[in-house]
Amino acid sequence: MGLLVVSISEYNCSNWIFFVSAIKAAVLIQRWYRQYVARTEMRRRYTWHIFQSIEYSGEQAQIKLYNFLGYLMDNFTPSSNERNLISHIFRENEVCRDAEWERYFSYENIEVPDIYSGPHLTFPLTVEQAFGLVEAFRNKKQQLHSRYVLQLLLETWKLLRMLPNISRISTCHSKEITICGDLHGQLEDLLLIFYKNGMPSLENPYVFNGDFVDRGRDSIEILLILFSFLILYPGDVHLNRGNHEDHIVNLRYGFTKEVLTKYKLHGKRILKLLQKIFSWLPLATVIDQKVLVLHGGISDTTDLSILTRLDRHTYISALRPPKKRHMSSATASIDSDMDDDIWSANRMSQRRASLTYPKPIGTKECFHNRSLQDFSERIRANIEALEMCKRQVHAHAQAQDQAQAQAQTNSPISSSDVDSVSLSCESIRSYTAKDEWRQILDLLWSDPMTQDGCIPNEVRGGGCYWGPDITEDFLLRHNLQLIIRSHECKQDGYEFCHNRKVLTLFSASNYYDVGSNRGAYVKMGPDLVPLVFQYQASNMTRELTVRQRLRSALKVLREQLFAHKSDLMSAFKKFDSDNTGFVPLNDWASAVESVMHLDLPWRMLRCQLVTCKTTSDGMIDYYEWFSELAIKGHKDTDHIDQSLLETLYRHRSTLETIFRMVDTDNSGFITIEDFRQTWKLLSVYLKMEITDEAISDIAVTIDSNQDGSIDIDEFMEAFRLTDKKSRLERGRSMFMVTATDLTKLEGDPNI
Amino acid sequence: MAPKKKEEPKPAAPAAPKPPEPEPPKVPEFDPTSVTLEFTPEQIEDFKDAFQLFDRTPTSEMKITYAQCGDLIRALGQNPTNAEIMHVLGKPKPEDMQTKMLDFDQFLPIHQHICRAKDRGTFEDFVEGLRVFDKEGNGTVMGAELRHVLATLGEKMREDEVEQLMQNQEDANGCINYEAFVKYLLSS
Repeated sequence: MGLLVVSISEYNCSNWIFFVSAIKAAVLIQRWYRQYVARTEMRRRYTWHIFQSIEYSGEQAQIKLYNFLGYLMDNFTPSSNERNLISHIFRENEVCRDAEWERYFSYENIEVPDIYSGPHLTFPLTVEQAFGLVEAFRNKKQQLHSRYVLQLLLETWKLLRMLPNISRISTCHSKEITICGDLHGQLEDLLLIFYKNGMPSLENPYVFNGDFVDRGRDSIEILLILFSFLILYPGDVHLNRGNHEDHIVNLRYGFTKEVLTKYKLHGKRILKLLQKIFSWLPLATVIDQKVLVLHGGISDTTDLSILTRLDRHTYISALRPPKKRHMSSATASIDSDMDDDIWSANRMSQRRASLTYPKPIGTKECFHNRSLQDFSERIRANIEALEMCKRQVHAHAQAQDQAQAQAQTNSPISSSDVDSVSLSCESIRSYTAKDEWRQILDLLWSDPMTQDGCIPNEVRGGGCYWGPDITEDFLLRHNLQLIIRSHECKQDGYEFCHNRKVLTLFSASNYYDVGSNRGAYVKMGPDLVPLVFQYQASNMTRELTVRQRLRSALKVLREQLFAHKSDLMSAFKKFDSDNTGFVPLNDWASAVESVMHLDLPWRMLRCQLVTCKTTSDGMIDYYEWFSELAIKGHKDTDHIDQSLLETLYRHRSTLETIFRMVDTDNSGFITIEDFRQTWKLLSVYLKMEITDEAISDIAVTIDSNQDGSIDIDEFMEAFRLTDKKSRLERGRSMFMVTATDLTKLEGDPNI
Repeated sequence: MAPKKKEEPKPAAPAAPKPPEPEPPKVPEFDPTSVTLEFTPEQIEDFKDAFQLFDRTPTSEMKITYAQCGDLIRALGQNPTNAEIMHVLGKPKPEDMQTKMLDFDQFLPIHQHICRAKDRGTFEDFVEGLRVFDKEGNGTVMGAELRHVLATLGEKMREDEVEQLMQNQEDANGCINYEAFVKYLLSS
């Protein structure tokens, strides 16, 4: 201080003035800089918030699909029209016996051409081959030939079948165990982990906690690497099933498309085999009897003893109740299919004994708000439902007496038999079936919350939210000290909660968008203290600024808003009883939240979302706002009713999934007839007035070359919301991955 | 004989030149109860949204730490100096910054006070400020000089903060066209 005083006294006047101005200028710049940083941080936060809310509500759509399928199964009697379509949708195409499985998945007659330059695998697998596989994927971006894929998958399946539901491992011999969370097809992250932490080996054990696939581009490569190491070191590599290890979820989130694109010839077989493998993945891992590692979480009813006992492979998808095997069908092998006729009385009564909802779902509101919890709660025998069941059974019994005697049942069914059988069966089997299914659902889909208690997870539509008291109780009951789970993206790649008794671990960095979050993995030694390691994969692509990320988040948000236009309109009208067409800002925000349920800071987002001018007293012209958001399909769709377009738009991912299920040969096309029937079913379900004419209109518009079949991709493309401002950015964000993006990937025709 | 000390510290006498830091005018301690709130209900709702976004309490108690207060005020569009923030917070000790909390009702008068302050700094002020460093009067300043100033004078910035601010702003000769620079900063 003193030095400065003396120095200043040596300055002449003008220097001193400069000095003072310099400081003033510096302070000004510093102030502005700090403001800039704070505003950027704010934007970053609500961008994150938007992505996360939409991700979860997207998962909810998945559950809606399930509801729709359940509705179909429950309500459609075999009339000539819809029956084909429905059995089309549900036909599993499963092969009956183990021997047939072997034949179906046989790889021996698949030739590997000379020009194939990728890795060759021989079994038993060696470490060099596993390393070679990693190198091939990393450096040369090669694809493993389908012959080797099938072979590897078969070996994996054989191994997984022998593993228990819950793996129990220990950190004896001072081995540190590494635990990784969701990878979601992001190969760079897995490679980064291997680089930092070493490849799996006897001295370097790993636990991978589910969600290996979907959303990212290299899901199959990740699986192949993980399975290779699993085969090499079965005692030191452990895989837990995640909610994305599920073929129904894969239909929507990109894995199915990825496999079919990369493996044009044998993709279907590969997917089928993976379906079995996923169902055989262990459900959880326990370390040193003290630390539980599982994908989603727990609920107030989670019971490890039930989880240990159940037949995990009967739950091919957590989103569909398991097929019930009739007690007496001794001839059926473990994986046998029920008879193809899903309308048989047997099926009916068995389904009553399973978990689906006995009554028609009916209203539009239900379609949107239903959760799986409602299903499991309504399993109480409903007299009406039983009546319906009896009636139908009676009709069937009369018509198909003989056939049933020969089918996999023990006796011809009469209506009185069904009464007693179904009632008693229901009470016994329903408890077990429901209970087991719920255990798995909770394990794969739940999220922790800060409040005590356990409530249904309405956001995801499956599993529950569980509180610190549940954790406490669970740990006490099972004599554990820590739960490690994944399932939720965290900005730092990890997060502790519930008094540090629950650790969320997420290993896919830059998950929502470039720069959005880090990934993390954990190392744990015999002291069972988790040591967290973080990383972030850097991409070749330019780092997106917060502004750019916000723009893509907003685009998605606008799409969501558009998809709920009619509900929003009614909400606005409630605030605008005089029908002026204007609502005050506060009311706008409340209305939007009441419809969207995304818990976003709407007021803050308002200036980004509402670009039409607001009046001087802060009123928003909502009609004008909607015209801003309007969907612009291709020009030919202009004549199509706006509300129909909106419905189409809102349910487009569900529609797409159904179309792809119907497209059993994966040609990318469905017939006009199937298209029409799908629409009809959907419209009845939604209680929508949609005339045959309107459907034909759409069908004709889409079938541009008039050959009687509809290109699914083209259909989806036609009804995509176009944004005036920016074309769809081809990014790794999950919202961007659609059929059209993936079909641009070049697949090697020789594979 | 005592060696002559050139740098003999002299007491700060009124006649001495002003100290280098432009001290804010001596004000009495900040009294939140003396502040009358003039915000409209809409504004308050906006602030609530933002406040919620900054709330990191595990049970969403609508509280933020002292350390976050400045950031929140800035995120809402003001640009106070750190000294002004410390003043309205009642000159807290450094260790209080992360531990002491504010709820929304305590925040409002603080924010109101900052909002009332004049001397917000306009585009012109900013440009004028930078012009001080424009030795040749040609519309550019030396990046290196600006970095040095920002890191050593006023409410000093850290090196990484300076780097973030100045990233990609300098041309091949290390110069910055400051009007463009200001426009860039203000447009974000």
